[in-house]
Amino acid sequence: MRIRFKLNGREVEAEVEPNTLLLNLLREQFHLTGAKYGCGIGECGACTVLLDGEPILSCLTLAVEVDGREVTTIEGLAGDGELHPLQRAFLEEGAVQCGFCTPGMILTAKALLEENPNPSEDEIREYLKGNLCRCTGYVNIVKAVKKAAEEMAG
Amino acid sequence: MYINKLNTHIIPFKFEYHAPKSVEEAVELLSRYGEEASILAGGTDLLVKMKQRVIEPKHIIDIKRIKDLTGIREEEDGIHIGAATKLRTLERSKLIEEKLPVLHEAVITMGSVQIRNMATIGGNLCNASPSADAATPLLALNAEAKIVGSEGERIIPLEEFFIGPGKTALKPDEMLAEVISPYLPENAGTSFMKIGWTDFDIATVNLAVILKLEGEVVDECRIALGGCAPTPIRVHKAEEFLRGKKLTDEVLEEAANIVSGHVRPRARWRRAPPEYRRAVSRALTIDALTIARKRIEGLEVNRGED
Amino acid sequence: MMAQGFRLIGESTPRMDGIAKVTGQEVYSSDIHFPNMLHARVLKSPYPHARVKRIDVSEAEKLGAIVVTYREVPDVVYCPRLVSTPEATYKDWRVLTGRPLYVGDPIAAVAAESEEMAQRALEAIDVEFEVLEPSFDPLDSMRPEKTSIHERIMYMGKEIKIENNIACTMEIEQGDVEKGFSEADVVLEREYRTNRRYHCQLEPKTAVVRPEPDGGVTIWTTTQSIHNTRLLIHEIFGIPAGKINVVKTALGGAFGSSIQTNIVVPIAVALALKAHKPVRLAYTREEDLHEHCSYQMIFNLKLGAKRDGKLTAGSLEAILDIGAHQIQAYPLLGCLVGWWVSLYKLPNLRYVGKAVYTNKVPSCAMRGFGNPQITWAVESMMDELAEELGIDPVEFKLLNHVGLGDLFWGQGPTVKSIIKSSGVEEIVRRGAKLIGWDKRPKPGEQRGRYRRGIGFGRGFHTSSAGGPVPGTAVDYTGAMLKVNEDGSFDYITALMDCGGGTLTAHAKIIAEEIGVPLECINIVRSDTQTTLYDVCTHASRGVYAGGMAALQVAREVKRKLLELAARVLDAYPHALKIRPDEERSQGVIYVEGVEGREITIGELASMARHKNWGTIAAVASVRQGSCPPHFTAYFVEVEVDTETGKVRPIRVVAGADVGSVINPKLAEGQIHGGFAMGWSMAILEDTPYDPENGDLMNRGFINNYKLPTPADLVPPDRFTVFFANTYEPTGPLGAKGIGEGALNPVAGAVANAIYNAIGIRFYELPITPIKILKALREREGG
Repeated sequence: MRIRFKLNGREVEAEVEPNTLLLNLLREQFHLTGAKYGCGIGECGACTVLLDGEPILSCLTLAVEVDGREVTTIEGLAGDGELHPLQRAFLEEGAVQCGFCTPGMILTAKALLEENPNPSEDEIREYLKGNLCRCTGYVNIVKAVKKAAEEMAG
Repeated sequence: MYINKLNTHIIPFKFEYHAPKSVEEAVELLSRYGEEASILAGGTDLLVKMKQRVIEPKHIIDIKRIKDLTGIREEEDGIHIGAATKLRTLERSKLIEEKLPVLHEAVITMGSVQIRNMATIGGNLCNASPSADAATPLLALNAEAKIVGSEGERIIPLEEFFIGPGKTALKPDEMLAEVISPYLPENAGTSFMKIGWTDFDIATVNLAVILKLEGEVVDECRIALGGCAPTPIRVHKAEEFLRGKKLTDEVLEEAANIVSGHVRPRARWRRAPPEYRRAVSRALTIDALTIARKRIEGLEVNRGED
Repeated sequence: MMAQGFRLIGESTPRMDGIAKVTGQEVYSSDIHFPNMLHARVLKSPYPHARVKRIDVSEAEKLGAIVVTYREVPDVVYCPRLVSTPEATYKDWRVLTGRPLYVGDPIAAVAAESEEMAQRALEAIDVEFEVLEPSFDPLDSMRPEKTSIHERIMYMGKEIKIENNIACTMEIEQGDVEKGFSEADVVLEREYRTNRRYHCQLEPKTAVVRPEPDGGVTIWTTTQSIHNTRLLIHEIFGIPAGKINVVKTALGGAFGSSIQTNIVVPIAVALALKAHKPVRLAYTREEDLHEHCSYQMIFNLKLGAKRDGKLTAGSLEAILDIGAHQIQAYPLLGCLVGWWVSLYKLPNLRYVGKAVYTNKVPSCAMRGFGNPQITWAVESMMDELAEELGIDPVEFKLLNHVGLGDLFWGQGPTVKSIIKSSGVEEIVRRGAKLIGWDKRPKPGEQRGRYRRGIGFGRGFHTSSAGGPVPGTAVDYTGAMLKVNEDGSFDYITALMDCGGGTLTAHAKIIAEEIGVPLECINIVRSDTQTTLYDVCTHASRGVYAGGMAALQVAREVKRKLLELAARVLDAYPHALKIRPDEERSQGVIYVEGVEGREITIGELASMARHKNWGTIAAVASVRQGSCPPHFTAYFVEVEVDTETGKVRPIRVVAGADVGSVINPKLAEGQIHGGFAMGWSMAILEDTPYDPENGDLMNRGFINNYKLPTPADLVPPDRFTVFFANTYEPTGPLGAKGIGEGALNPVAGAVANAIYNAIGIRFYELPITPIKILKALREREGG
């Protein structure tokens, strides 16, 4: 089946099977490997991408479902070599260790800040609960999201 | 050789994909393919089951593009929620938050943001998990299920919709089109409670309460319990017991005992033994009734966070 | 003594691989892709104990798949973990097996053009099994009438016989234990049982193997040691070591689960050699959950103390459920006793350790290598003993702790050194003050539904397996440093960064020592062919041992730079200094007090090229002569809901003595992550088995192996981390490790906090809501 969708701001086309998962389409056909396979059943959030701006699990989404829609991956976040404030804050606050959860975590955080530009720490912790991290205990991640929010508020 | 069939990297078998534009078209596909077809709404349960090879449908009917199946409508008989309405839509709906707060309270605890962006209300109900978080509040609300099939449309009480774990009253050529929830009685207080092992977990036990007082006396109370029987259930005995009584500590205790007496152990319960579910259903009953009463009285509800 | 006068050490710096990680450009093994690559799947045993009677792969081959079975792999019995010497290594592994010993044991493997085709081929393999009697409990497994799991295994090149499924044992006795206990006023004896946890590193095990035209292979894999991976593949397949190249690839967490070479590596090598094409074998999460787990332990612990609080004797019997294979269980028996005797001074002690085979997923190191388990038991018992003695646990533990000047066992009985820096007293006293220890409730006195308690646990971990004499642990690191012509430096090491920021720490040590801006240091993406041997990133040794190699090459390169600069500047080398010039992004060598006598390192390196002086470089292979412990102390406040048994954390105060703190935010991150892991070890994680089918109860799915979410832990403002003012004289610029000490005392602190809240002690992990509620009800009933 032929699908067309917007990927990181660019119109793209792909030939997919009905059982092709969005995660595998992104990783194998478009070589966008920022979204990770972590569990395959929607528990870990490592495969998170934005679909029409909302975080979803690409491991539980059929590729055909994104026909006509807009997908943003971590690779589409930094513009013109300039890091997104969230990416910068994650670096500065030590919110990245092994980094495997980082792309999904940042994309979820981006959706949070778009929805709620000034979240409390509790709101951040609640919103990020679908993104597992085994390294950081989340403390520096929460700090980084808070810091990015402050920076984006200017 | 079960272990060798699992592969959560991919969906390890082929199927045909259908994306009908109308309910009629969907029903036509269902009646054509019957048990070989599965309905894809959010996919958060269906695709997991497919990866785990619990089911291997030959036809997938994606109902997300059917406009009639999504959205929330306010009508005279209650609030109509399209089966393919996403949990996030319910979460963000002022109408749901104001008119059906017990459903709203349940929805915001469900899964993660990602799951709620994908999962639908109909999917949660049709998956028929004994502890489905959307089921208990809707049962307490006396909600009905509007079902469409090749023989037309029928409406049944949600209490009759759940038949067993993973089993619903839907026939192979039928689908859930809509959930209709009557409005809450005026001045009712509600509460939804659940226990899981983490903040992102399916409920081990969940419970929804709708309470209406006449003065200090219970005029009406509805209690729905999840995770304690093969399906989510209404605990009518506790409701009858409470009617006409003041909510004294003794009455709360007795109501809680009745609720916990409805725990029907299942052979496959691995997460928690019956005695734990009994104890927790007891505690949640008292909590939920207490909170519902506080809400009627307009009191702040918090759990003593420092 | 504390670290002073540093420019970079002690300042928080972003990790140097950070930009790649936040932009999704970091390449992990699972991201490696080649156009003609085949995808592999593994045929796993559905039975916990069986023999393959017949295997037919013809249908799979008809589908076009490349298939290897246990019959075609080299007949080599090996041990996948190579951080110990042969004397401490028992071998009982094969690449694929015809006698599977646990559900998930690999029997055969297929490779095909897509994962879907590989899956189809896998399902086309026809196998007939003879099912054998399984053992799921080590005590049951040791009964003489039980079926042998391994009849014979290999040790030092010879076959040895296994009796009663006991894989290996260790006994140690010091002093007179009976006399010690008879001198005690109070003696406690308890049985403790730990959980069997799963690492749940975010990246499942993966290997990509490309066969090379010269008969060699290039390997990208999830490993904590590229060199040990190469050594093992050489051992199994006989490919000359120089033709096996293992490439350093970012690792999506490991926590000990890739100290050993993961089974995916030899399987993928076997497939790639047969297919003559690159092969990718990436495990799914459910396969990964069948690949490794922590050691489950049963302790019989006995401690005796005098009224004045002095411990007089201790005895420990430890039974380790190691699952179906040894991943160097013998060194663990040694480490376990080492951790035990290094917590508190025991004038008389006896230890018996037994590692027992069961038909379960093989156990391996998991952050702390037995230390979190034994520290939980000891810290629980010390708390209980303090109460019996009527002494404050803080004072009781400080009185008996192993500290400055004492002998420390860094990696079992053969790896010991004297403690030369200790901040124990400082972190314990300050932590107690910060949490309000004096105001904590009395155990069991609270009423009401929600009860709060404060618990204290302390501990340590080694910072390497170094030592003054060779022990049974291999521990050394190689490093290379060269000056590029523009004044930047290439730093080359085989040491892996598992996520802790270890290599950024090395770069800081080098930049600090030479006196150049940090961005001058380029960490080279290297491989086994271009690096010196490094044993492994484990034992919290990355900074302390690996960093020392970095420091040595930095010193050597600095010496050479100054020698050459002395020629150019007409000055004495020992009088020259180097200062960082941030604007020019390089170091400037200058003569102090003489204006104009200076040259940038770039100018000097260019000159060295034009004048044919050669490359300014250094190579070192460094063995640390010590294994200093880093110390931690946790004070945790919890709240127990006595109606549901749920426990939530309220506040955490953690103090750590890590010597010089190289990168504070990342060091704090280790503590935060250690707490999260310890918290769920205490209350949540376990992998029970289904006795009906012998499989994991969760069948490999993490929806039934829950980990805490951010909402289940404490928010940043309720998590206090502080560091002791210490300086480790044997460490690079005073530094020690942190990774494992960050975890080790947590479960003990949490268990003690639960006791403080509800007055009930638990002797089995995890302390789940179910167990708490049951215990509360039983107490009410009794």
